[in-house]
Amino acid sequence: MSSGKGRGMTGQGIWSGTISFSLVAIPVRLVRAVAPGRISFRLLHAADHSPLARRMVCPEEDATVPPEEIVRGYELAPDHYLPITEEELESVSPERSRTIEILEFIDLSEVDPVYFDRPYYLVPLKGGEKAYRLLAEVMGQTGKAGLAKFVLAEREYLVAVTSREGALLLVTLHYHDEVSPAGELAPEGKTSKARKARIREDVEGLRADFDPGKYADRRREKILALLRRKAEEEAPVESPGVGEEEGEEAGPPDLMAALEQAMREVKKGR
Amino acid sequence: MSRRIVDIAGRRLSLGNLEKVLYPACGFTKAQVLDYYRRVAPLLLPHLRGRALTLKRYPDGVEGESFFEKRCPPHRPAWAGTAEVLQEDGERRTVCVADDLATLVWLANLAALELHVPLARAASPQTPDAVVFDLDPGEGADVLHCARVAILLRDLFARLGLGSAVKTSGQKGLHVFVPLNRPGATFEATRTFSRAVAVTLQRTCPDLVTAKMAKAARRGRVFLNWEQNDASKTMVCAYSLRAREEPWVSCPLAWEELERRERAGDRQGLRIGPEEALARAEAAGDPFRDVLSKRQKLPHL
Repeated sequence: MSSGKGRGMTGQGIWSGTISFSLVAIPVRLVRAVAPGRISFRLLHAADHSPLARRMVCPEEDATVPPEEIVRGYELAPDHYLPITEEELESVSPERSRTIEILEFIDLSEVDPVYFDRPYYLVPLKGGEKAYRLLAEVMGQTGKAGLAKFVLAEREYLVAVTSREGALLLVTLHYHDEVSPAGELAPEGKTSKARKARIREDVEGLRADFDPGKYADRRREKILALLRRKAEEEAPVESPGVGEEEGEEAGPPDLMAALEQAMREVKKGR
Repeated sequence: MSRRIVDIAGRRLSLGNLEKVLYPACGFTKAQVLDYYRRVAPLLLPHLRGRALTLKRYPDGVEGESFFEKRCPPHRPAWAGTAEVLQEDGERRTVCVADDLATLVWLANLAALELHVPLARAASPQTPDAVVFDLDPGEGADVLHCARVAILLRDLFARLGLGSAVKTSGQKGLHVFVPLNRPGATFEATRTFSRAVAVTLQRTCPDLVTAKMAKAARRGRVFLNWEQNDASKTMVCAYSLRAREEPWVSCPLAWEELERRERAGDRQGLRIGPEEALARAEAAGDPFRDVLSKRQKLPHL
């Protein structure tokens, strides 16, 4: 069994364009830098192992609502909505951007980790390799990160572009007003010097270099081992797909036999 | 805004906005909707009788906002037909029941263009009066494909000793009913039966029929939806208008007519508007009356 899908480093690009600053423009595509290790399960109907479907249901009508009958509404108050159309939303969405334009360079160490959202890699496209290598190297040596704005999936992001092992890493950042201030949470009161010193000592005693390879998602590993064991010991259950199965599942045997006999006669009769 | 006080079977009713166009594509007005429901009432009322109505209302016409209403509007005249039904969550709900002309006209005046009813009556909500099959053409299929499937169903049922009836959905498809009209009928049995029928047709006519809701499976085929056989589902009532561009009627058909139109490839003839529905009723009565009276038992259940 493989360790799940999409764990490789470069999947499909989710955006392509150029990254530029001053007079340099490097063609790149964007790929996800992390593949969350969650193991996902399908939900099945216990009775026949059919995979369950999610449907949009109107509780008033008690029926599935087809996509063409679904609109957006902003809830002003309970039961009061402001309908908003795709066109209206589009009219306030930013233009899809083709460039990641670096506006300023900052020290990445200055950025509070609370701002980091999602990491991506920038992969050079044909003809961009040389300039890419140059930019990555310079950024790696100076420890600088480029700050840029760019639009992905209709949203404008503030991003930091930095270098990691010779590759360019792009991290989307949260906007300032999305981040809850921590100050309100800090408890007030005085601290004693002696206690502070003792704790500082303890911190020093546990000091290590950050080695993320030391830690792994133990639960994930255990689930994978369990799945591997089960797959060897048991045959998988099969889902029918409505009515595709032969025999009993479709209905009582007598009824099915009568229907099949009648259907043969009907087909013969025409 | 015009308002007219009318007397319907001794009930005084104030009708408003009569000149309002409810079907802009063809200029069909509220007055015409009211007139249709008044004139079709002798055929329609027996099919509505005793059933908890779900109203689909179009106060601004078929191009405007619409909403489903299961609860009977509280600002109703004292004489309006209602019933109390127990919902799944144990709450009681007052629903409209159109047993008489005045209630029907009052509902039409609320722009309840579409009248949807469950398969069971409000007094016996767990006893379906019929088994129903909703034939819905997928992309690349049309009402003639549905007609072929409906005729297959009719012949299949005939060989099981069961009579059946057909109506247009008033949209793109057809509805096939197998009347039961027995106190012992259960949704459990009708579900088992209808699913078995759907599976059999899908298996024996895979090019024409699918029992799967998935869009891809429906392409070029008729989706044979058996899942309407449920106490919580409602379907558009025979002779109800539909809220499409034009006021099509969910109109019962004689089997011979469906066969004839299927052979002739006459799609157009299966789109029946209000005038046409009334003319048929006058000429031939209600091809759907057996659905209300014929007593049948599902075999092998």
